[in-house]
Amino acid sequence: MSSHDTTRRAFLVRASVVAGSVAGAGLLPDASAQNLDQQQDAPIHATGGGHTFFNAQDAATIAAFTERLMPGAPGKPGARDAAVLNYIDLALSGAYAELQDFYRRGLAQLDAYCRTTYKETFVRLDEARQDAVISALEQGKATGFTWPAAQAFFETVRTHTIEGMFADPVYGGNKDFNGWKLVGFPGGQAVYTPTDLQNKQAFARAPIIGLSGTSKT
Amino acid sequence: MATEKTDVVIVGVGAAGGILAAELAKAGMKVIGLERGPRHNTADFAGLDELRYFQRQDLRPHVKREPVTWRPNRRTRANPLPVLNYGNQAGGGTVHYGAVSWRLHEDDFRVRSQTIERYGTSAIPKDSSLADWPLTYSDLEPFYDRAEYELGVSGKAGNLAGRKIDGGNIFEAPRRRDYPLPPLVADQSGVIFEEGARKLGYHPFSTPRAILSRNYQGRPGCSYCGFCQAFGCHIGAKSSILVTKLPEADATGNFKLLTGTMVYRVNSDNSGRATGVSYRGVDGSDNTIDAELVILAPFIYDNTRLLLLSKSARFPKGLANSSDQVGKHVMAHIGARVFVAFDDRFVNIYMGPSAQKHSLDDFNADNFDHAGQGFIRGAQISVTPADLEGGPIGAALAMNPPPGVPRWGAAYRDFFAKYFARHAALVAQTENLPYADQTIDLDPTVRDRFGLPAPRLTYDWRRPNEVARIEFLLPKLEELGRAMGATHVWRAPSGSGAPGAHHEGGTRMGSDPKTSVVNRYGQSWDVPNLFVVGSSTFPTMSGFNPTLTIQALAYMSADAIVNRYRSKPGPLVS
Repeated sequence: MSSHDTTRRAFLVRASVVAGSVAGAGLLPDASAQNLDQQQDAPIHATGGGHTFFNAQDAATIAAFTERLMPGAPGKPGARDAAVLNYIDLALSGAYAELQDFYRRGLAQLDAYCRTTYKETFVRLDEARQDAVISALEQGKATGFTWPAAQAFFETVRTHTIEGMFADPVYGGNKDFNGWKLVGFPGGQAVYTPTDLQNKQAFARAPIIGLSGTSKT
Repeated sequence: MATEKTDVVIVGVGAAGGILAAELAKAGMKVIGLERGPRHNTADFAGLDELRYFQRQDLRPHVKREPVTWRPNRRTRANPLPVLNYGNQAGGGTVHYGAVSWRLHEDDFRVRSQTIERYGTSAIPKDSSLADWPLTYSDLEPFYDRAEYELGVSGKAGNLAGRKIDGGNIFEAPRRRDYPLPPLVADQSGVIFEEGARKLGYHPFSTPRAILSRNYQGRPGCSYCGFCQAFGCHIGAKSSILVTKLPEADATGNFKLLTGTMVYRVNSDNSGRATGVSYRGVDGSDNTIDAELVILAPFIYDNTRLLLLSKSARFPKGLANSSDQVGKHVMAHIGARVFVAFDDRFVNIYMGPSAQKHSLDDFNADNFDHAGQGFIRGAQISVTPADLEGGPIGAALAMNPPPGVPRWGAAYRDFFAKYFARHAALVAQTENLPYADQTIDLDPTVRDRFGLPAPRLTYDWRRPNEVARIEFLLPKLEELGRAMGATHVWRAPSGSGAPGAHHEGGTRMGSDPKTSVVNRYGQSWDVPNLFVVGSSTFPTMSGFNPTLTIQALAYMSADAIVNRYRSKPGPLVS
């Protein structure tokens, strides 16, 4: 958060307290006013979920699920490093809004299947069991799915994970170009020279370019 | 509700409609063009954005708002296709296409005769409606030449008036002169493809493309950015109708383009003449244009749909459909695909124009002996990124990993991280035969946002002739991959029977009004002031991309309208 943002937030919080005091005296309990004062310097998402669509539980499930699809490792950025959760969350409150029920119901069925099979929700399973669950979805063997079907849910999350890894960062994923760094894609280069075209090595002549800027490295 | 009058109304201003608009307006005719989508300009394409243009299909019709349904056969229910492979803006598909620009072979115009002469009638599958075109290559050659020079196509001649030239396509039909522009620079994949194909005795060449290899007619040469197939060109080097013919049409002062409009009916009177069209405006308004001449040039779905929607007492089976052939003989390309990957080099196939970069024609058309193969006609073979587009979303979604590598998890991550910039795809684009029962009609239940019945496809390419061809081609592709020096060579799954890219048919041209919808000029046999121009008139499809042939046919129709029809309106072929 920039200092400008901090100042602005503090102003807004104070203004709301003052407005509450004046226009609705007595409506704002002292304890709440005190809390608001204490929050002035807290991170902006401290009391919210930080998401535009997912609730906290579903966000945790998608974060874990997508990380198993594209796991991170040292030098190999994965779904978490690329903020795939953020990409899917923003897409579901925007371009893919029609898939909100698909995700809600898919995630509910996923946890129901995990509880039936392992007595725990997906996020509480160890990685080996999470992988077994994902395989069961991929192969259509996971029981209890009506709509969406297990395979359809798997395929959709896989597709959206790939989008979140490799779409331009303006869409909320591919954070710090981590997806493009993983595979060696230099983004939207306006020009390749004949030398570039016939080079047998990885492209390294220019920094990665995205819709809102270039990489620093 | 508005009514206006004009000389010519053109429905769909793309590969065909844009050429007709410019040529007729230049000849002094008043032309109104109707376009369902918007009109973009080159500056709109500054954002090199794979998600928007490739994955979310920003330049295509919206699959929910303008659905097209498909079923493999009459016994099943049709469902909306998940992807629509045609344009939705002024300039049509030429805005987002890969700009591959072929002339058909001489024998592509006489497939039935050629097959019977060489292999006998029994070689033609009994259920195929294989037919000759009502024109020859030499009839169309002047118009191919015009299209290449007026639009700007880059390539190298392989057959100059009968003289074969190494480095060009030696199987091409004879051309009067070379391309106006030299071939585009070959990238890594083209260089390796060239070497591998030559080792096997084939005849590779740089694919001719309507992309400028250097400055031409005030437009810049290609910058090789790679955001090509599925994208609008950010510098205007792709010779789309948007940057070639529409400015010509604008300059005449005789052309008006109405965007955001949806034509829902071609109007006709009791004398059998077309009187104009009715359309919905962006605001939902109901409007009419009265015109002396009506030209239909949208994607093939809408040619059939519009004719079927334009029934009248005089035309109870649909307009221009006394032959009962409207909607039949639909064809589409299928791409048999093999992936190759290299441990010893990067390929960086995301660079450069992305569709069908380098090609060979040895297995196309009747360029090889089909005797005893169990199928007729062939395929055009080329090297491309995994899905004709070079970015990592397209590659990840189109390229199944080789056997033994899972589709997700650490092993998949490592596979894709290593081979994204080291892969290429080899694609055989097949010439599927026409069959009368491969059709477009009106879906009984699904409607589009205008309330019109969705076009419904009944189509399954998996016919014995077509399956045998794929089985012949896949080992050829694998052999080619190994000759290129690939460390890994593996097949893509063959997929469903749904149609691929480049649709043809539905308003077939012919020389007999009883068995065809239009004559060689795209003129309706039944309604002489109604023309249908585009790949919907193709009697057969060839293994080649259709656009340059669509454009040559549009030039030929424009020439016939300006020089013959205008002075004496009536049938151009008796």
